[in-house]
Amino acid sequence: MLATLETAKLDLSMNVNGQAVRLWVSPFTTLLEVLREQLELTGTKYACGEGECGACSVLLDGRVVNSCLVLAAECAGCEVVTIEGLTTNGKLHPLQQAFVDHGAVQCGFCTPGMIMAAYALLAANPNPTEADVKRGLEGNLCRCTGYRKIIDAVLSMARGGRSDD
Amino acid sequence: METRAGYRVATALEVAARIATLERATLFAGGTDLLPRWSKGVLQRPEVLVDLKRIPELKGVSRNDAEVSIGPCTPLSDLAVDPIIRQTAPVLAEAAGRVACAQVRNRATLGGNLCNASPAADTAVPLILLDATLELTAIGPGGPSVRDVAITDFFTGPGATVLAPGEILTHIRFEPQPPGTFAAWDKFGTRPSMEIAVASVGVALRLEGGTVTWVRVGYGSVAPTPLRGRAAEAVLTGSPLSMEVIERAAAAARAEIAPITDVRASEAYRRDVVGVMLGRMLKHAGHA
Ligand SMILES: Cc1cc2nc3c(=O)[nH]c(=O)nc-3n(C[C@H](O)[C@H](O)[C@H](O)COP(=O)(O)OP(=O)(O)OC[C@H]3O[C@@H](n4cnc5c(N)ncnc54)[C@H](O)[C@@H]3O)c2cc1C
Ligand code: FES
Ligand code: FES
Repeated sequence: MLATLETAKLDLSMNVNGQAVRLWVSPFTTLLEVLREQLELTGTKYACGEGECGACSVLLDGRVVNSCLVLAAECAGCEVVTIEGLTTNGKLHPLQQAFVDHGAVQCGFCTPGMIMAAYALLAANPNPTEADVKRGLEGNLCRCTGYRKIIDAVLSMARGGRSDD
Repeated sequence: METRAGYRVATALEVAARIATLERATLFAGGTDLLPRWSKGVLQRPEVLVDLKRIPELKGVSRNDAEVSIGPCTPLSDLAVDPIIRQTAPVLAEAAGRVACAQVRNRATLGGNLCNASPAADTAVPLILLDATLELTAIGPGGPSVRDVAITDFFTGPGATVLAPGEILTHIRFEPQPPGTFAAWDKFGTRPSMEIAVASVGVALRLEGGTVTWVRVGYGSVAPTPLRGRAAEAVLTGSPLSMEVIERAAAAARAEIAPITDVRASEAYRRDVVGVMLGRMLKHAGHA
């Protein structure tokens, strides 16, 4: 995908989910807006827009960030991974599968952000304790599940990705 | 330097300082204070931003024989796990690691936390305990000029500092405290995560033969600026950490702060909490 969208003044090149993208953004456009509106990667959610909920979490050069608090312009030359980037050839990533298997999804609105935060947590700490998982997901709100099943899903990955609990 | 509409990326300090001065650009680091304020409309978006994060000398932690130096654009997530900081200033590492959540700490910088000048800035009290010095750099007609300001002189009110327009915080420095220095910092909120402190308290001290020979006390979220606790220090200096002295220090703390009532807590509650927190830390120091 090499998109060039003549929408604003600023020429931005970055890598999203392994593909080079080039587009025009205005200086105050957030990474979240670019992902959802220009690249149509709507897995990343917009909720609070001010860093409180984590629904917009993505990886930026390997670190989890709230894409609503990042200017697209800051991402020149950076690598971005969104929830769509975890799936390969239509096959869910084991962490995504763990959320399915553990019933860690209800309305699903928080799920992409939860999974990206959990992904970053597991990359830094492949064997987290329950306390580590709670800490790693402290910036992600869920209004449905009560968190228990989300924590179980992430903990199941600590035992090598088996989801048999 | 790259020119991209109103957004400029500086890769050299002097360029950033020039853009900041000549174009009245807003200095931009992690954006975690600026972006929410722009989107909520409490702060107008500026014409020009200058992003400081790609200036190598403004990032990272280094140490020589005399002092530790931190680049203002160091993200709080890096500071929290930095081996030099964990060794020389564990309370700063702790405070950095308790700001917000991973997503915010990966962007938020130490310099932004200080220059934003919230009375609740979590990294300010640990730096008060360390007698930290802030190096400020400006570009004048005669070229760059640098001045050092003590952390206690840096804040002038909520959201206000001694920074002149265009002036950049370029280093945060402190001398490591001698071995045997006790230090503690804690913040209190209604939940453990994602919490702007109702109050924060820090204390650093040294004891000789049971007597306090040196002490620093600091408070956050309980005055227009992060505050050094000089009255509590005066009670403690030269005294043993007896229950009576600890109670007098806690009373001095409750009296010297100037909290307000807001959505997080009442003034009276904040005074109480600060006294309790300081008292607990001092009891702990006595047993440490
Ligand atoms: C959801 C959420 C939760 C938060 N929780 C906490 C918390 O628990 N504790 C806490 O202390 N803070 C908290 N914050 C506030 C914020 O994350 C910190 O203050 C952060 O450290 C600011 O750094 P920044 O790099 O993002 O600053 P920016 O937003 O980039 O800048 C902040 C201000 O500092 C100025 N500035 C930045 N760098 C420099 C420099 N080198 N020289 C001169 N001026 C400069 C900017 O011009 C601006 O005015 C929270 C924020 C959010 C969004
Ligand atoms: S939408 Fe970004 S944190 Fe809530
Ligand atoms: S599943 Fe609905 S918000 Fe988490």
